[in-house]
Formats: sequence, C-alpha cells, structure tokens
Amino acid sequence: MKIAVLLSAGRHPVSGAAVLPRMEAQAIRLAAGLGEAIGLHAGPDAAAVREALGLGLARIEHVAIPEGGDPVPALIARLAALAPDLVLAGRRGQGGAESGIVPYALADALDLLLIPDVIAVTSGDGAGTLTLDQSLGRGALRRVSLRGPVLATVHPDAPPPLAYAYGRARRGSIDGLGSAPTLTAGPDMAVEERPYRRRPKLVKGAPTGGSAAERLKAATGESGSAAKGRLLVEPDPEEAAREILAYLRQIGVLAASSGASSDASTPTP
Amino acid sequence: MTRLRRDPRAERTAIQVAGAARPRYDRTARRSSSGSGRPRRDPRAERAGQRVVGEARPRFDLSQVIRVEGPVIADTQPRATTAPAPPKILIVEDPAFLVAVVPDAPGGRLSAHDRQVLGAARALAGREGAVALLTLGACEGPGPAGADRWIRLDDGTEAYDPAGRAARIAAALNGLKPRHILFPESLDGGDLARRVAVRMGEPLFTNAEVVAANGLVRPAKGRRVEQRIAPGLLTTVAPDAVADYAGPPREARPVAVETEAASPAKLRILAAARVPADPATVPLALAEFVASAGNGITDLDTFRTLVAALRATPGASRVLCDAGLMPRHTQVGASGTVLAATCYFALGISGAPQHLQGVAGCEHVVAVNTDLHAAMIERAGLAIVQDAQIVMPALLRLLAQETGETP
Ligand SMILES: Cc1cc2nc3c(=O)[nH]c(=O)nc-3n(C[C@H](O)[C@H](O)[C@H](O)COP(=O)(O)OP(=O)(O)OC[C@H]3O[C@@H](n4cnc5c(N)ncnc54)[C@H](O)[C@@H]3O)c2cc1C
Repeated sequence: MKIAVLLSAGRHPVSGAAVLPRMEAQAIRLAAGLGEAIGLHAGPDAAAVREALGLGLARIEHVAIPEGGDPVPALIARLAALAPDLVLAGRRGQGGAESGIVPYALADALDLLLIPDVIAVTSGDGAGTLTLDQSLGRGALRRVSLRGPVLATVHPDAPPPLAYAYGRARRGSIDGLGSAPTLTAGPDMAVEERPYRRRPKLVKGAPTGGSAAERLKAATGESGSAAKGRLLVEPDPEEAAREILAYLRQIGVLAASSGASSDASTPTP
Repeated sequence: MTRLRRDPRAERTAIQVAGAARPRYDRTARRSSSGSGRPRRDPRAERAGQRVVGEARPRFDLSQVIRVEGPVIADTQPRATTAPAPPKILIVEDPAFLVAVVPDAPGGRLSAHDRQVLGAARALAGREGAVALLTLGACEGPGPAGADRWIRLDDGTEAYDPAGRAARIAAALNGLKPRHILFPESLDGGDLARRVAVRMGEPLFTNAEVVAANGLVRPAKGRRVEQRIAPGLLTTVAPDAVADYAGPPREARPVAVETEAASPAKLRILAAARVPADPATVPLALAEFVASAGNGITDLDTFRTLVAALRATPGASRVLCDAGLMPRHTQVGASGTVLAATCYFALGISGAPQHLQGVAGCEHVVAVNTDLHAAMIERAGLAIVQDAQIVMPALLRLLAQETGETP
C-alpha cells in the first residue's frame, strides 16, 4: 500500500521553536505499521521537517514554494502524481493559521474520501479496503471500513509517536522536487493581527444577569448541585443504595433498569 | 428691563404640604409657578419608573428614559411580590437578515456548546436580524435557546456519510441565504464546517473566541497572536468562549427551504459502527463516570466488583495509590488526574484540597463517608453518612436483584 504523510513546519506550543507537530509524528507511527510511507512537505525550507526522518520516515519529498504561499496547489499536483492509497495529515496545523482546512481542500480537489480524527488504521479484509478507528471524544470510537483511496486526519488520542532515532535520521533522505508554479493566494480574509490577550473563562452555570454574589457562588461551586445537595445521615444501607442508584439514573450515567419499572406494574405475590 | 422679584419665604409657604406635623414641601409644585421653562428632573421617580415589575430582586431597564412630569408621590407600600408571569415569546416578524446556526445536537438535544453558539448568533443578529437553526431531524427546545426560525431537514439515512450530510446542509444554506453561518468547533461541527466551506468555496473563520457584530477574534500561531476580522459568512465558535442566550424565549418558527435533491454519491464507506468507550480501560481524564475509593475502604475486592457492576471507571485517592493498593494511574487529584467526568462517586474519601482539585470539573458528586464533617460530604450533591463497607454490598445486592428480575 502506498501511503503519503503530509508534513508541515510547526512551532512548539510553549517554546515557539521549530518542531514537527505532534499529530504528524503520530501519523508517521500509524503509517509505519501499514506499508511504504513517504513524507510530503510544501514550504520554503525542507529543514523544518527533517525531524520526521528520525521519527520513522525513510524518504521525504519537498516541493519548494515561496514564503507565505499557499501550499494547497503544490500538494494537489504532487498527490495527483503519486496517487497514494492513504494520505495522513494532522487535524490542525500548529504555529500557523491553525484553521485545519488544508486536508479538506485537498480531499475536495482530488476527490478523496475524508475521514477526520482517526486514531488507528488497519488494512481491512477485502483487497483495497481499510478499517479506520475514528475518535468521537471521551474514549468512544467509530469503526469505519471503506474502500480507498482515503485522506485521514489524525486525532491527538492516537498512539504516541515513535522514539526519535539518530541513525534513522542520518539514513533518510529529503528529495527536492523543484519549486511549484508560484501561486501566491492573496489573503482571502482581511485579518488584523495583534498580540494574544487571554479572555476571562466562562463560568459554567453562572447566571448572566445575576449579581456579583451569584456569579461568585457559581464560580466556587456553591450553587448548582452542591448547593441543593441532599444529606442522608445514618440511613439504612439498603435505603442508601436505592438513593444512590436513583440519583445515578437521574443524571443519566447509569443505564436505567427495566426491572424497576416491571416490578412497579406487576403486583408481587 | 425689570425682573420679577422672588420672595423665597412666600414660595416655600405656598408649597408646604398641609396637615403634616413636620414641615414638608411639595417641590414639584413649584415648577409651574417659577417660570424658568426648564422641566425639573426627579431622579428618584425616574428610577422608580425604570423598575421592572414583578421580580423579587430589583431590576432596572436602563434603556427606558422616563420624564416624570407630575407631582412625586412616594409609594411607601412595599411592592407585593407577584409570581413571575410566563415569559413573553419574542417574535421577529420581518428580519433584515438571517444568522444561521448548524448545531451538533447529538441525540436530538442541543449540547452546551450548541447553546453557546446560539448565544453568539443572537449577539450577531441584534434587534433586526433573526437566528435560524438548521437541524437534521428532531431537536429539543430551540426557542428558549434563542432561535427565531427553525429549518428542519429530514434525517436521511442513518449511515455514516459526512460528505453527503455536508452537501445537504450546504444546499439548504444556499437556499436560505443567511448573512452569517455559525458552527460549533467540536469534533463533528468542526468537520462539517470545513466540508461546507470547501463546498461553498468561501473562507472559514475557525475557532472564534469573541463573537460580536463589530468583529470576530480567534487565536492563531500557538496563541501568540489573535486575528480580528469583521464577521464573514462562515465561522466556527470555540467551546466555553461565548455565553448562552439568556433572554426570553424566542419563536423558533418552522420554515421550509426547498433544496434540489442531492444526487446519490457513490458510497465508498462500506460500514461504520459506533464502539462505545470501555469504562474499565478508558483513560481517567476522559471517563464519563468515575467511582473512587479512599482510605476508608478496606475491602477493595468488593469495590472492584462494584465499579464493574456500575460500569464506572475506577479511581482512588493518593493514600491508596501510595500504599500500592490501587495502580498509580488511577489517582485522582492535583498530583494525579484532573477529571472531566459528569459524575464522581467517592467512597471513604475525606476530600483533601489536593483531591478536590481533581474533582472541581465534575458536575455531580456522590459521597459515602462516616464523617459528617468531611469536605467531600459538603461538596457532594448526594451525601450519605454511612459506613461504605456496608453500603457497597447493599449496592451490589440491589444491582444483582435488578438484573435477576430482567432476564
Ligand atoms: C503535595 C501533595 C499533593 C497531593 N496530591 C494528592 C492527589 O493528587 N490526590 C489525592 O487524593 N491526594 C493527594 N494528596 C494527599 C491528600 O492531602 C490527602 O492526604 C488524601 O487525599 C487523603 O486521602 P483519603 O481521603 O483517601 O484518606 P483520609 O484523609 O484518611 O480519609 C479517609 C476518609 O474515609 C472515611 N472513612 C473511614 N472509614 C470509613 C468507612 N468504613 N466508611 C466510609 N468512610 C470511612 C473517614 O471518615 C475519612 O473521611 C496530596 C498531598 C500533598 C501534600
């Protein structure tokens, strides 16, 4: 199976140093178990993604585009030529615009199936089929089997990246493919940039029109469930158990028992 | 030119209120006699006129400017606290423009994030605009959440087909022609927004943290800068950034949009099945329901059986993890895992501050403890002062009895 992993020049979220985004490193790991994978980077400088060689890729193709240029046309051209069965990308960039729109633009242009937020990929039963596990948050999954080619974006819950190996990084190669026809997309949105300012976090359950005292109560957790809490002192253990189960069912974390309703309707002998 | 000579003493006697033991003067009466022409303001009466009737706590509608011209009569009777009247439904009859919202609405219910997006849409719509909610299938309570119009497309097929879903929503949005379209920046909503944006060929402003008519703001470049833009067509709204709609309920008038029938695309997805999270193995930080044991629990086997029977994720306090009775990765608290669970069930845990920090985000807490004055009992929504060692078997008995009754 032919696999392409899209690589981007990221910035570390804390230090701001140039780094391969973690989700792309995770994508390399997902690809490693499946077949021959190559990296694909479109940007002014290939040094930004050299780290990916040490993380498990043997070869990276680099299409040079000018600084600030749109990578999408260059990637479309190269992917159309490669025609991989599986394209892996991070779900968001890191350090740039972080809009996560590039995979969607590629999938649309190349008529690929796009499956977002994938955490595992295995080859399926039939020829050319794949089984992807998609994260639905909170540990739940959707298992999707499909016929390729497919573009999948990787979710942070995917297995952690492989360890960096120096020898692998030395052996790997970066092939420059020349520069793409310069197609600098004008800024499609007139954005104004300024230093980031943190905004106050929304307090959950705080009344918007309420007084300062009410908002403080909501912030310290005194209102809500804690304020109207029920206290049972030294109840009968059976009674306590019934109360607990009823409470858990009421808030919906415990599946309701059909037995409780049936014994209410049928008189016990 | 001569001016009338004022006689302050005479003026005062003229306005004296008769019959009061203490001299009182009705100063509103003077305005008519002194002919300065300028009406005299009475701040107290204006304030009283702005008061919203029928609420226990005084509330004032400052947008209302009332000139009190008549004589001031102080009302000394305390207002009878009337029961709040059923709120009036706000109707926008002829909106100047539409703000569309496409919620996730998992299971036909608006999520907290969806409500925030509706709040953001309401802020963009202002007085003239209307908020149009676009759902696939049923949806509970769109009116109170702030929707003026409600477009309900039929569910279509149950099969997982995100591209087909995006195509239908894009077609409906093209028919509706809203000025702005908002999506939640969640797993599903973010995916849908990007598909719709690519399909419409419009730029998408993602993860907006501020939504107002005069500008949207989003973080970029690893939160080093923020980007500001005038509201465009497509926007996704970050979670917990914008407040819900808090005003009176809106109409949520059902509207039909005609969409051209989408051509059935060739389906390349062969099968899709939901695999629910296994509570026993899901990471503690992601778990929905955590049951935790503390130093008050001696019978850990019963605890483990109970956790499995409740389909909860096991947790523990630091004391048990330090003693090696529970694995370290189950530790809840400041030096363990900070939970994002909906419900936390604490058995024999005192509720040290370091432990409570890990539970701060949990909406519901149930505690069983022998100590009435434990901090955990105070934090809990349902607190039971009883020996956990006898409550646990009672719970197991009750659960076994229920499953025994249902074959
Ligand atoms: C730097 C630092 C970091 C820490 N970080 C953490 C952390 O991350 N997580 C954490 O949990 N702790 C942490 N701790 C420890 C914390 O301060 C407490 O010591 C610990 O949480 C207490 O655990 P406990 O409630 O299980 O035990 P105890 O405080 O001993 O409480 C046991 C409770 O069980 C009740 N009880 C006794 N018998 C029964 C019974 N038969 N039935 C019902 N109830 C019974 C008692 O009334 C008591 O309330 C930290 C401490 C420090 C100094």
